Order: sequence, then C-alpha cells, then structure tokens
Amino acid sequence: MPDNTTPAKTEYRSALAPTHIQPMNKAGKRFWLAVGLLAIVFSMGVAGFIWRWQSGWDDRPAWGYYAATFSFLLSTAQTAPLISAGLRLVAGPWRRPLARPAELFAFVGILNILWFIPLLKVVPDTQHRRSIWFDSPISFQIWETIALAVLISCGLCLLYMASMPDIAAKVGKAPGKQGFPVPLGLSWRGNPHQWRILKLGLVVLGAGYIIFLIFQQTIFASDFGLSLVPGWKDALFPAYHIVSSLQAGTALLTVSLFLLRQWGGLKDYIGLDTFKGLGRLLLVLTLLWFYFWWSSFIVLWYGRRPEEQLLLQLFVSGPIRPLFTLVLILNFVLPFLLLLWSPIRKSIAGPVIVSVFILSGTLLDRIRLFTTAFSVTESGEVIKTLPPTRVPDTADIFILMGGLAGMALTYLVATRLLPVLSYWEITQGKILESEKQIGLRKVKMVAKPE
Amino acid sequence: METENNITEKQLHKDLLAPVFGFSRRFWIAAGVLSLVLLAAGLGFTWMLIKGLGVTGLNRPVMWGFMITNFVFWVGISHAGVMISSILRLSRAEWRLPLTRAAEVLTLMALFTAALHPIIHSGRPWRTMYWAFPYDFSREIWPNIRSPLIWDVSAIFTYLISSTLFVYIALIPDLAIVRDRASGIFRSIYGALALGWRGTNRQWQLHGIVSVLLAALILPVFVSVHSIVSWDFAAVTSVEGWHSTIFAPYFVAGAIHSGVSAVVVVMALMRWFYGWNNYLRPEHFDAIGKLLIAIALGWFYFFSMEFIFGLYSLEGPEIALRNMQIFQPPWSIFSIVFLLTAFFIPVSLLLFRRVRRNILAMFFLGITVNIGMWLERFLIIVPGLARKTPFTFDWGTYRPSIAEIGIVTGSFGLVFLGLLIFAKIFPLVPISDQKEGQAFKGEIQIGRVKIKTTLRD
Repeated sequence: MPDNTTPAKTEYRSALAPTHIQPMNKAGKRFWLAVGLLAIVFSMGVAGFIWRWQSGWDDRPAWGYYAATFSFLLSTAQTAPLISAGLRLVAGPWRRPLARPAELFAFVGILNILWFIPLLKVVPDTQHRRSIWFDSPISFQIWETIALAVLISCGLCLLYMASMPDIAAKVGKAPGKQGFPVPLGLSWRGNPHQWRILKLGLVVLGAGYIIFLIFQQTIFASDFGLSLVPGWKDALFPAYHIVSSLQAGTALLTVSLFLLRQWGGLKDYIGLDTFKGLGRLLLVLTLLWFYFWWSSFIVLWYGRRPEEQLLLQLFVSGPIRPLFTLVLILNFVLPFLLLLWSPIRKSIAGPVIVSVFILSGTLLDRIRLFTTAFSVTESGEVIKTLPPTRVPDTADIFILMGGLAGMALTYLVATRLLPVLSYWEITQGKILESEKQIGLRKVKMVAKPE
Repeated sequence: METENNITEKQLHKDLLAPVFGFSRRFWIAAGVLSLVLLAAGLGFTWMLIKGLGVTGLNRPVMWGFMITNFVFWVGISHAGVMISSILRLSRAEWRLPLTRAAEVLTLMALFTAALHPIIHSGRPWRTMYWAFPYDFSREIWPNIRSPLIWDVSAIFTYLISSTLFVYIALIPDLAIVRDRASGIFRSIYGALALGWRGTNRQWQLHGIVSVLLAALILPVFVSVHSIVSWDFAAVTSVEGWHSTIFAPYFVAGAIHSGVSAVVVVMALMRWFYGWNNYLRPEHFDAIGKLLIAIALGWFYFFSMEFIFGLYSLEGPEIALRNMQIFQPPWSIFSIVFLLTAFFIPVSLLLFRRVRRNILAMFFLGITVNIGMWLERFLIIVPGLARKTPFTFDWGTYRPSIAEIGIVTGSFGLVFLGLLIFAKIFPLVPISDQKEGQAFKGEIQIGRVKIKTTLRD
C-alpha cells in the first residue's frame, strides 16, 4: 500500500514559502564573520595543543584540560544527534524542527576523532591500572578508537540518510541551481518502497547511534576517568556521564535552535512548541542528573570506607569544593528552580537561558572530573594522598577555547553542506495535522500513521 | 483482526460496569481459589507465630531470605502504576487509558503486601507496634533515622498514601457514574465517595489540574521508594556484592521492568476474565511490549555495569562471590534461569510484532519476566549473605522452609484477590477516560488512506 503520508517532491515547494528557503541559499556577511572569528580561536586551540605537545606525553596532569575538552565535545555535540534519534523513535511531533539541527552535530565527530587520538598516547596501558577490559588481548586504545569511529560513522550515515529526500528535492537552493555540495549518490525517487527503506533505516541507525553512544561514553568514562584513580570503583559513574551528556546535549541543541531561529531566519519553523518540549525534557534530565549524582554520593558517603572518603574529598569536598558547588548550582539548582516555573519552561527564552547555565556547568564538571583524574599519578590499590589541583595555564585556556570554537566552526560548515532543517519531516508533520471542533473549541489533532 | 469499534455510551457502561453490578460464577470461583492461595500464607504465618522464626530457613549468616526477597519484589511491582498512569500521562501516550486504573490498583495492593513483609519477618509482629506506638521513642527505644531501613518506612507509606490519592482522584467521575446507577444504601455510599461530582466544566477543569499535579508530584516518590530500598543493601559495606553505587537506578529500572510485565499479566487476565476485548486490544499489548523492550535494555545495561564493576576492583571476596553465583550449583542454575527469563527470552521474542500482538504470548512473557526478576532479587540478597564473613567456617547456606514458601505464595493470592475485590466494587477500566478517548478520536484522509488522529492540544 503506498505510503500517502510522505510528501511528493512537488509538495515541498508548495509547503514552503520561498522566503523561508532564501536565507539558506547564500552565506551572508554575518556568517563569514562568525566563521572567521571561530577559525582564529580554533587556530589558537591548535597552537595550545602544539605547546602542550612539547611538554611530552608522559606529563599526564598537563593533559587534563585537553581530556576535559574532548569529554565536553563528546557530551554535547555528539550527544545531540541522540536526542533527535530518541525523539524520532517515540515520535513526538514537536521534534520535527529539531531533527536536522541535531543530526548536523554528527559532523563534529570528525573533529572529535582527531582530538581523541593524542589522548590515547597520554593514558597508560591497562597493565598498570584497573580496567574494565581485564586481560583482554586487544588493547583498550583499539576498543576506544573503534567505538568512536563506529559512532561517528553511524551518526554521519544517519545524517545523510535523513537528508536524502531534501537533497533530492533540492530544497534550499534557488530554482535552476545544482543540488547541495554533498553528492546524492543513491538515486532518490521518493517511491513508497524507498520511503519504507528510509524509515526503517532511520529507526535502525537511530537505535544504533543510541547504543554506540552509550557504549562509547561508558568505556571513555571508565578508561579516562575511573581507572586512572586507584580505588575509584564507582559503577554508576559511566551512567552519570551519560545522563549529564544527555542534559548537556539537549542544552546545546536548545541554544543552537535559538540561534538558527534568530539569525538563520527560521522563526516560522522553529516555534514555541519545540522549545516547550525541550524545556520539559531539560527539566526531566536535570532531575535525573541530580538523582544519578546523589545515588553515587550517598553510597560512598554512607559507607565510610577510608579510601572512598578520600575519593569524595578528591572530587567533591576537598580543594575542588568551590568548583563542585558551582557545578551543582549550574547543572541542578538554577535549572530546576527556573524550569519548575511554568511561564519560564513554556517560553523560548527560558529554556535557552537555562541551557546556557547547563552548558557552563557541564564544562566545569568535565574539568572537575577529568583534570582531577589526570592529576592522580599514584598507582596501587587505593589512592593515599590528594594531588594538587591544577589551575589552567595559557595552553589549557587556548585548548579549551579552541575546542569550543572548533565545534561551532564545524557545525557552521555543516549547515552549508546540507539543508539545515528536515523539510520533508516538517512537511510530513503539516500533512498529518488537522483540526477538530470539540464543543466551542477547535483543537489540533495529530495523525499517527505508525 | 480486532479493531477499535465505535462503542456506544450505553454499551460502554454495560461492559465496564458489569463486574460491579453483578456476581458471576467466575467471580466466586476466582475468589475461592485466591482465598485458598492466601490461606497458604496464613497457615505459614500462623505456624511461624506459634513456633518462632526457627521454622524458617533463616540462620546465621543468611538472616534475610525469601521474605525480604519478596518484600523487594513487591515494592518493585508497585512501580507499575506510576509508570503507566503518571509517566505515560505526562508523555501523552494515549494507549495507556484502559490500563491506568488496573496498574494503579496493582501498585496499591503490591505496596500493601510489601509493607506486610517486614512485619511478618520480624517474627513477633506485635513488637513492631510496641516500638512505634504510642510514639516512636517509647521506652527510650529510638529508631535509627540514619538507617535506610527507617527511610523505607516513610518512603513506602508516602508512596502508599500518594498512590491511594492518585487512584481516588481518578476514580471520582466513575464513582459518580456508579452512583447514578446504584440504588439503596449503595447509592448513598457511592454518592458520598463521589464527593458531589456533577461533571460541570469547573469540576473537570480542577480534576485535570489535580491529576497532572499528582502525576508530576508522585514521580519523585516513585523514584525514591525503590532507591531507598536499594540503599538497604548498598549502604552496607560488610556484605560482598552489595556496596555498589549503581544499586539505586539498577533497582528502579528492575522495578519498572517487573512492574510493567505484571501489568501485562493483569491486562491479559482482565481481557479473558471480563471479556473486555474491545477495550484491551492487541494494539495496547503491542505498545506496552515496545515499552518493555526499552525498559529491559536499560535494566540490562545497569545489570551489566553492576556485574562488571563487581569484578573491576579484583577483590578476592567479591570474585569468590561471583564465582559462586556463576559456577556453583544451585546458584549457577538460578543465574542462568534468571538471565534467560528476565532478559534474553522476553526481549528476543518481543522484537516480533506478531508476538507483541498475541495476548497469550504476552501473558506468558509477563510471567517469565517476573520469575526472572524475583530470582534477581534472591541472587542479590542471599549469596552475599551466605559469604558474608571472612571466616569460611562461618559461611552458611539457605534453604527456604515450607512456611516461607507458603508466605511467598500467599502474597500472590493477596494481591490478585485485592484486585478482584476492587474490580467488584469499582470500575477497573476508567469509564470517563474511555469516553474522553472516544470524544477526542478522529480520522483524516491522506490520499486513499484513512489514518487515526489523537488530540495534541
């Protein structure tokens, strides 16, 4: 039976007013200014890396901020596509405008894998520390690299597959112009068979991305965090890393959507409904963040084992306390109190402001966790002394800024390569909407063909 | 193939109120059988009261056995109600409508049954009253408020009270429907319970606000209950396999897994027992089956982390415990059965749409999952205690006695009897929700296909 909910090629253009496509046809002055500034900051990051490289691979504490930056990129940019994949599986209608902006973050994976390679040299092999790999003949570096490569490939395939109908319809290009720079490859005709394959592929790739991201985050948190600190046995830490990534990824997506709406000319597509949905999601994830942090803390604190008390001092209550307090305020207290209030949660500005807090808090949290883990140079069964807290030097600041700039720059480039909105999904959403009179009110109804 | 028919209001009332307004032979048979099952618990408990805790299999070092396993199991089952009615309400999953009340009542009965177990387990239950009444520091015996065991009491009773409120608020419109059809003293009773419900706009508005608020407020309670139960174990450092930070989300995920599976069992029984084929359709089982897959995968992740990090630190006693659980019978047999029944068999079968839409298959899968989840709790509690002390001469074993088996079996009788009696007194499928669902139903034509629509506002 033909799938009548999928729009024919001609329906794209009729569903979208030309003015809405116009902003994506050419890059304006603001775009090139942003690219220029980001490129400068990114090259500062590269300079910072070269500077750090000269201190050698063996000075592990010096690489803490580098690891924290990678973790932040993994937690934000690489988690954003998962938000879209997950929402697509549960089919929330407000998710349609955010699908492509979220999937475009898969491009940042290319930067991420390059960023990751030096880290493999810094961390010692598993013969000298506890590891979740135990006596595996395959070194952890190979597992890590494969996991990250598979994740990035999955993300890029998901992005490409989801973009195919729009690329084929030449959406976003003025009439007469050739298609987008990315070659179509497969000849998309939009027949029912192709639509079925596309939908199945999106579900499978989406589920695959979720699984691989969880796997990659678990092993990264274990290898580059837990196993560097003797005696740090926290089964919940990988899950905490995942949940805080979900929170930060949603926050990054919220901010990106706001910027696309304001400066991308997409106000008619990215509306209040989307931000309301994101606000609700942020509230749930904020509560989950606290739950996972507290579950870990209460067991370690209550157990009163000396080695665990020292761990708590290392990460929570010792010299790191001011940083931890700031993280708690930015990742939980402020977001919770603000998002609890309906007028803030159900607005556009509210979730965006909260997202900025969350992103700042997550960056500080990653600095807290990974610079601390990297600063422990003891070996043995348990940690015996607290290492000094590492204050960032100039190279560290360059690396941090360069990482953030690199992420933004890669994303901006991605928006030029592929349509920035999932036009076919938005059109599909419009086709599936209807109105019904119930009593004196007209209410919105949504069809669910699945 | 069953499809959703346009059921008239008259037919809807007739179908869903039939159990309330009539006694069928089926009801008496079911009540009789369940009472016999409950009697097993009564006999076991009475024997234990007369002879003492020595008639159980409990002994140093395994002081917690079947009864505490059952306590944790039933607290887990109680998570079904909030999952179905609260979380699915807030995420606007419309397919939950016929299941909500049954899930909520299952929560109430499961919680009540769970709360009985520590009292039964004390061996001399009158002493629990003796400690707590008339005030909790009577005779200078202060409860240790720093113990998760005391947090359990407040968590479970808070959850019980809030779930009761949740059920009651949702029940009010249906109580009014029953009131309007009852006569004599029953009319007065239902009338009093309906709190003067007339179905005005203002009443519906307030009802909606309260329902959403309760749904949101009960969520922290829902998460905290099983987290606190998990900390009964995780806070303990002297028992191998217990002191793990992952226990809280692991237990909550397991609770949702077993709770939702129990709801599937209840759904199938409701459909067969009351003939509610038009209200509990294969699409409901399909939807809940998909939910089960997601929950099972999340639970399995936490289980894997708990297991891997149990071995991670390479501590001798912990490795010895895992070695016993995996390689030494009977623990090895229990572990294999647990993994197969809790995860591998259900998830691999639930991936198939044909299985998810088969009521009989879903019924057996729900039971299978619960067998596995019961064994999971048993495997967490007993092996660790059996190897608790560092001296091997102090190691013990555990064999449940007939009294404990009777109490555990009887607990199932209590829960299902409670459900049966509730269905006798109150409508088990929310009538007003069903009517609302029909009013908000729609269809649109796209090309040659008609597709169902749901309200989004």
